[in-house]
Amino acid sequence: MIRFVDAAGLLGNAVALTALASRVPGFSRLGMGTRQSVLAAVMVGAFVPLGGGLPLAAYLRGVIGDLSVTSLLLLLLYLARLVRGVALPAAVLAGRETLLGLVAVTAAVFYPLALGWGNFDPYRLGYGSYGMLAVLLLLALAAVLRGAVLVAIALALAVLAWSAGWYASTNLWDYLLDPLLSVYAIIALAGCALHRRRRRPAAGLK
Amino acid sequence: MRRGALLLLLAVAFSAGFYKAARRPPPPAFAVAHPPGANAEPARIRSDFASSRLHVQTHAASLIELKDGRIRAFWFSGSREGARDVEIHSAVFDPARGLWGAEQEVADRGRTERALQRYVAKLGNPVPGRAADGSLWLYYVTVSLGGWAGSSITAMRSTDEGQTWDAPRRLVTSPFLNISTLVRNGLVPYADGTLAFPVYHEFISKFGELLRLGAQGAVLDKQRLAPGGAGTLQPVLLVQNADDALALMRHAGPPPHRAVTVATHDAGRHWSAPRISSLRNPDSAISAVVLADGRLLAVLNDLEQGRDALSLMISADGGASWKTVYQLEDDRGLPKTEAAWLSRMQDRLLASDARVATLPAEQRAAYLASVRQAACTPGGCRTEYSYPFLLQAKNGDFHVLYTWNRTFIKHVTFTPAWLKQQLEYAP
Repeated sequence: MIRFVDAAGLLGNAVALTALASRVPGFSRLGMGTRQSVLAAVMVGAFVPLGGGLPLAAYLRGVIGDLSVTSLLLLLLYLARLVRGVALPAAVLAGRETLLGLVAVTAAVFYPLALGWGNFDPYRLGYGSYGMLAVLLLLALAAVLRGAVLVAIALALAVLAWSAGWYASTNLWDYLLDPLLSVYAIIALAGCALHRRRRRPAAGLK
Repeated sequence: MRRGALLLLLAVAFSAGFYKAARRPPPPAFAVAHPPGANAEPARIRSDFASSRLHVQTHAASLIELKDGRIRAFWFSGSREGARDVEIHSAVFDPARGLWGAEQEVADRGRTERALQRYVAKLGNPVPGRAADGSLWLYYVTVSLGGWAGSSITAMRSTDEGQTWDAPRRLVTSPFLNISTLVRNGLVPYADGTLAFPVYHEFISKFGELLRLGAQGAVLDKQRLAPGGAGTLQPVLLVQNADDALALMRHAGPPPHRAVTVATHDAGRHWSAPRISSLRNPDSAISAVVLADGRLLAVLNDLEQGRDALSLMISADGGASWKTVYQLEDDRGLPKTEAAWLSRMQDRLLASDARVATLPAEQRAAYLASVRQAACTPGGCRTEYSYPFLLQAKNGDFHVLYTWNRTFIKHVTFTPAWLKQQLEYAP
């Protein structure tokens, strides 16, 4: 009998595998119906036990662990766009860049400290610090006021999942961000910055 | 309307979050242990092997006293450290009969990964603990990718003193892919029934840490015992009273090769800066207990290099100074050439366990071949007496387990009267 927290962890990894499958060359040329069938097959296939008795999702989980709620949210939005064939409402996607920026900046400070740089361990705050919750609440309210809907949704879902014990982790940080999301956020933001720079006319040209 | 729904979602989520934070138990004091009884047994020391499998490598033994006064040991056993066939083994010592029971396997890689629903490459150090409800827990290291620095902790519970175990589950203790937290020394109870678990981190930077585990095994808190980069490993937590404790740690940093200590005077809310102790330490495991009179008794390699001697040492001043009580092993300077080394080890083998001496010659030869297989390479043989685990049972007797040349787990037991006698005659 699989424990709920393990099923939740496997589900996240199955979603990651499904998103990965969509990046296989040629996928974008498929028709909508075929896309949906392929992604559904990968999602289900991720749970089928292989030779060693473990499903593919469990092998991935052994390496990357449980995805943060933020990662899961972004992957589900990405997959939703793929299977619907149209972009999600702008209001839902508003704040995506802000969210990635927050993840990148937080990760750049958080991981070095948590892995032993100095004596302050910010990970400790994730076991139920009122201060950390208060800061996240203020951040979420600021996001609502500025229209960064996705930031507020991600924070709310992460705190909710942590409160409910969705994953095996009892630490709120594990619901907010993970190393792969952090790397993705840094690369995506760098890509956005490069894109903007290319579109902007060079200074001095008339 | 949309903003209203979002605000409602935030209200629900953060209400649940603050409610969960409010339910976290407040920082507790250490539980004050009842001093073990000073039994009337005469001065006595004896040794034997807790493990019995031949032609394997064994390492990282630990101990816990069962409710009926017997002693249960755990260690890992396999073709070599880090191999996929390594299993966690256990055996029970009956002090009344002076005998170890049969060696049983309690965890293996395949069952562990199926229960955890995640790939596991290898198993490592096992450490038992006793929860407030009386159940026995076994914590052991699992690695999915890379070396020991990629470890995380797996835990399983037994309600029948270790005869059967519930399905293992994983503790999440680190934000970076849940690496790396390792276990080596025993847990200490807090007054509120939660447990203090001294653990350590190895990935990128090495440092000791302290976990607080709830009654059901959930991680409630984690704190750093020393800054990263200080090279402190495998803390052993020595509680003097409800507020005062010392953590003695293996040192993996640059010279001087000395153990490192940190102290708390407020039940672990704050820890002092790390201090280099007077205890020599060649980057090897240390075990220690607090005696009823507050003195500290430790087992370690009192060396700057190598692991070819193992000492029983005592401190009467809270760990500031130490003196040797007894040499449990001393093979410094032993020739590494196979023939000479095996010749000495044959004597050591027979002296370590009286039962081995009574075996037929063929079986004794198998024991020696097992030693050769585990400790010798074409370059020579390596003497290793390491990874001690010291326990004082409720009846006052002491039990030490340690790795004996990677071949067996050796058990040495002595009475309080023997310790007293040694202290009287110690130089």
